[in-house]
Amino acid sequence: MVELETVPPFFADKQELLDEILGRYPEYGRRSAVMPLLREVQHAERYVSEARLAEIGEIVGMHATEVKGVMSFYSEYHGEPVGTYHLQVCSTLSCSLAGSDELYDYLVEKLGIVNGEVDAEGRFSLQKVECLGSCGSGPVIQVNDTYYERVSRSRCDALIEALSRDEVPEPWRARGGDNEGADKADFLMHTVAAGEGETR
Amino acid sequence: MSDVADATTPITSRHDPRYEVVMYRHVGIDGAWTLDYYRGHGGYASARKALTTMTPAQVIDEVKASKLRGRGGAGFPTGVKWSFMPPVDGRQRLLVVNADESEPGSFKDRYIMEDDPHQLIEGIIIGCYAIQATKAFIYIRGEYGLGYRRLVQAVEEARAAGILGKNALGSDVEVDITVHRGAGAYICGEETALMNSLEGLRGNPRLKPPFPAQAGVYGLPTTINNVTTMTSVVHIIERGADWFASMGTEDSKGTKLYQISGTVVRPGVYELPMGATFRELIYDLAGGPKGEAKGFFPGGSSTPPFPWRDEFLDMPMDYGTLANSGSMLGTGGVIVIPKEKDIVDAMYNVVRFYAHESCGKCTPCREGISTWLPKMYQKLLAGLGTREDLDLMEDMVRNTRGTAFCPLADACAMPVQASFKWFRDEYEYLVDHGTPMYTKNDWWEA
Ligand SMILES: Cc1cc2nc3c(=O)[nH]c(=O)nc-3n(C[C@H](O)[C@H](O)[C@H](O)COP(=O)(O)O)c2cc1C
Ligand code: FES
Repeated sequence: MVELETVPPFFADKQELLDEILGRYPEYGRRSAVMPLLREVQHAERYVSEARLAEIGEIVGMHATEVKGVMSFYSEYHGEPVGTYHLQVCSTLSCSLAGSDELYDYLVEKLGIVNGEVDAEGRFSLQKVECLGSCGSGPVIQVNDTYYERVSRSRCDALIEALSRDEVPEPWRARGGDNEGADKADFLMHTVAAGEGETR
Repeated sequence: MSDVADATTPITSRHDPRYEVVMYRHVGIDGAWTLDYYRGHGGYASARKALTTMTPAQVIDEVKASKLRGRGGAGFPTGVKWSFMPPVDGRQRLLVVNADESEPGSFKDRYIMEDDPHQLIEGIIIGCYAIQATKAFIYIRGEYGLGYRRLVQAVEEARAAGILGKNALGSDVEVDITVHRGAGAYICGEETALMNSLEGLRGNPRLKPPFPAQAGVYGLPTTINNVTTMTSVVHIIERGADWFASMGTEDSKGTKLYQISGTVVRPGVYELPMGATFRELIYDLAGGPKGEAKGFFPGGSSTPPFPWRDEFLDMPMDYGTLANSGSMLGTGGVIVIPKEKDIVDAMYNVVRFYAHESCGKCTPCREGISTWLPKMYQKLLAGLGTREDLDLMEDMVRNTRGTAFCPLADACAMPVQASFKWFRDEYEYLVDHGTPMYTKNDWWEA
């Protein structure tokens, strides 16, 4: 509890950002800002602490418990810190038919963590998620805010190795197509303009 | 058909000279998301036409005459929905674009927002004008980070260029857009849950009536439409209702973005006139199934699947035909199920999805769909099921139909029922032998 009081408010030095977010909604719809505010905190701190819930509540005029109620409804906010690289593996039907179950098992073996866990260094965390809208280019891993699609076994290795060195590869974006063989998939890779990868 | 597809363009019907690509014409082109590109290719002419040469009522009439039906899944006639808005009474009126796209097998909205966000903005300007709303929200699912960034960028560009704002496109019409990002919840695609979520509440559905047009977001008159409903409007206004209505079947007009995933050679999004057959989509465009197929979901995982038979493959993909055949067009997301995927396993995957996404508000969905149905599947897959369990499961889903607060429970119950209807032999094999009929479990590429 002592700690709670000593944490400086998250938005204290972010007045401009705060104004911008609140300005998106009409005054009578101030609490609509709860989701974007939760996202800011989740993005920066990798989880939303009790102190942040209270702070957000104060900003939008909700009780901290209400904010928690909203937060717990969604799968992208977390009450405990996720890893630096939060790996979200789609496990829904189309991805499953493209190998996402095996991909998930492989990650479990490779990283030594299961769904909902963070590794000892806090580098990787793993979450099984539902359909990400990449059904034509599965299996897909969402790393933080970026999709890596058509993740074959060799690509999965390459991705994890790069992230282990703190190198974040350009997002792989594939939009369906002839997905026989990983080599062809590489050929179909579509790179998103630099700088668009990782933001809120 | 100018830019011939090469291996780096996404798979769309651009590959097929028989069909003109309309809504997806910019998708897959680098930089198409900029205002310069969009305007350079005739962008915003349609909105300008609406704002300068038509009255709001004329826009609604044109959309009615086009017979456009909502592309979000339910297929409600768009022009009719727009005419439900109450008379202008000085209150703020809202347009909400449903970009939550979370139905398994659906991924058509995503590429529009990522690659052609201005097309959506143009549709929104026209829609706002028609229903006389000055403010629009785009509710985009949280995971679509790239789509969110592209939309925000496009809205800023459009504002700076005077396309949005107090005098949209130099007219005296005001339109502004806020892009609101979700955070991972399928139910927020249901329009009343979406409204709650947008208001900063938990995403539980609301009771209807009141309908959104009477009391929607913040209690204000609200119209909610899907992304590709709005982009269809752009072309209806530009080319006329007759052009749109000249394509399709009796009850389903225009072009539609069909999606195909599962085990086919070329999964992707294909824009076709409504009423094209499953066979055309699956074989001509997607290159046919990889290996032997045994069935398919016609329009997303909420739509009852069909077995792999000519009578279903030759069915036109339109609203009426599918409804009459005991399924639904849904979002038009075909998922092909290979023979070697055990149906019980496949359906457990589907059930698990709805179990995870149930909001827990009402008892039939929370206890039936979210709790007991997945447990029954687990029991079957553990080899512990009995024939009585199968009857019980069928009974459960039958009793769930129509009893839940919102359609999410039915969206799970109906495909389960259909799987029992068409593939009961696989369920029976599993309970009789203790192992599934099909055991292939390596679908992953090296
Ligand atoms: C559980 C559930 C999820 C839904 N998800 C979506 C969605 O992601 N996107 C969408 O446009 N409509 C979705 N809908 C349909 C919406 O409730 C609504 O009918 C639609 O947005 C209306 O737009 P339209 O008339 O343009 O189709 C969903 C409905 C249900 C019951
Ligand atoms: S099933 Fe995995 S993205 Fe849709």
